Amino acid sequence: MKTIVIDPVTRIEGHAKITISLNEDGKVDDAKIHVTQYRGFEKFCEGRMYSEMPALTARTCGICPVSHVIASTKAIDEILAVTPPQAGVNIRKIINLAQILQSHTLNFFHLSSPDFIYGFDAPKEDRNIFKMMQTHPQMARDGINLRAFGQKIIEELGGKRIHPTGVVPGGAAHKIELSQKEIILAQIPDMLKIAQGALEFFKTNLHKFQKEIDSFAAFPSLFMALTNKDKTLEHYDGTLCFMDSDGNIIKDAIEPRDYKEFIGEAVEEDSYLKSPYYKPLGYPQGMYRVGPLARLNIASTCGTPLADEELKKFKALNGGKPVLNSFYYHYARLIEIIYTIEKIEELLNDEETMRENVKATSSVSKTKGVGCSEAPRGTLFHEYHVTKDGVITGVNLIIATGNNNLAMNAGVKQVAQAFVDSKNITDGALNRVEAVIRCFDPCLSCSTHALGIVSSKIEIVDHNKKIVKVIDRS
Amino acid sequence: MRVVVGYGNELRGEDAFGVDVIKELEKFHLKNTKLISAFQLTPEIVLELLEADEIIFIDACNNEKNHYALACSLSVQSRFNLSHHISPKTIVYMLESLYEKHPNFFIYSMMTKSFDNIKNENIYKMRIEQIVHHISSAQ
Repeated sequence: MKTIVIDPVTRIEGHAKITISLNEDGKVDDAKIHVTQYRGFEKFCEGRMYSEMPALTARTCGICPVSHVIASTKAIDEILAVTPPQAGVNIRKIINLAQILQSHTLNFFHLSSPDFIYGFDAPKEDRNIFKMMQTHPQMARDGINLRAFGQKIIEELGGKRIHPTGVVPGGAAHKIELSQKEIILAQIPDMLKIAQGALEFFKTNLHKFQKEIDSFAAFPSLFMALTNKDKTLEHYDGTLCFMDSDGNIIKDAIEPRDYKEFIGEAVEEDSYLKSPYYKPLGYPQGMYRVGPLARLNIASTCGTPLADEELKKFKALNGGKPVLNSFYYHYARLIEIIYTIEKIEELLNDEETMRENVKATSSVSKTKGVGCSEAPRGTLFHEYHVTKDGVITGVNLIIATGNNNLAMNAGVKQVAQAFVDSKNITDGALNRVEAVIRCFDPCLSCSTHALGIVSSKIEIVDHNKKIVKVIDRS
Repeated sequence: MRVVVGYGNELRGEDAFGVDVIKELEKFHLKNTKLISAFQLTPEIVLELLEADEIIFIDACNNEKNHYALACSLSVQSRFNLSHHISPKTIVYMLESLYEKHPNFFIYSMMTKSFDNIKNENIYKMRIEQIVHHISSAQ
């Protein structure tokens, strides 16, 4: 048996490698993602004061710190038994949406779009953002402007672009000033135009990628997301919902604090990334997907006009049943970009948002708190245990990317079996193996609770673990 | 206009070299100079550099043998690496290809083998002062 190793995986956040095991006939037998970085946040937070947790856990990631701050402050809200004022909640929601907007934008415009523009078989030197800047400069500028818009909102309302301090236990640190509101609202029309243009570009080019649509983690699975009672799209409030691949809701209205009754976490020996699963079905049969695809499958409506128009077309992809093809994560991501812009506008125009009272205060009232929110990549859980004095005694974090671990692994195997030919290992085939992971937009620094050197080396190893071939893709 | 961009993580010891240089430079109120402090370089930062005739990037650079040496690290920066953060050369390439801006640019790096703490406070401060003096006297 031979093994092909892709190490590290490129155009994602963090460190991972992929091994592809071949059988005696040279066919793909198995494929796995190994997340090779370790962070240990759950352990070193023990002994710290509860009030430090938003700042500490935000450092889990430089990409989606807002999500961690949101989940963390929600967990502490429970410990303090405090209900944030509506203005504080709305400010949190706006900052959360801004982060989803900037994160989705980076994935589409800067990490994934080269594959859509030039195709997965294009020469490597042509399949990157630098070539895109030459051939599609307006698209590159659009990506920069859209991301800057999201980052600016986070900076204005959260205090800093990265690791913001404006979201605090009990609500928000500061009210929104009228001038801030006006600056953000003035940019909405241009940002919507960019977002709609990107979605149109994607839809127009979809016909070129039927093979990828059919093989990029295209299989039945459960889906999980936060949702409202009326099944509108939700990223901050709501309860958890599990849906099967036929569209049947198998468990609904789960309070986030009860997540452990339904979600187990399996540990595999070859990765630092845990594998959450739906407990009633067991491991690994309880594989589920989270993130934009899951959210749009579960939501019956977005609640904003332009996104809803697109959601109808999205749902028509599989005749109204859940969309099972993970390639469409990109599609869902683009619809969510439109949604976030519309929703930010709606929230800013809500008179509750501009009220003076943005924060409630209290002291430790409970010894356990669970905070849950929808991060760009999916559902995020923070669970804290504290002493009556507020000292952290236990932490459990389930990160969006972790929720998708089983599905990502199954997807890598499916793509490898569809495209990798051991007698002729092409760059296009290996790019597809990486690209299926990129569909999920994993954030590995978060999910292992680093940033590092990105090179591109593939090793082919025989059954004795002897390297028989090294392919340098840099 | 001259723009000085210092970047790094303040929680990580000598990794914060660029950010610490910016803090010192802020005390000088330099004319025709914009100071930017960043956790990491991300694509949208180009929008803050459009007015620049000259850009100076300041960071800490991994080097086991020449700890605390000051250098230009152009040779170890690749513009082709891309994740969620990018290199100074990528930023400059974006300015050139997307906005037809062609600023002069320099990268001042302090070599370090200790990103997570400050090994020698005195030398570390001395290196900050050297860079600050160099930039402030070059007006």
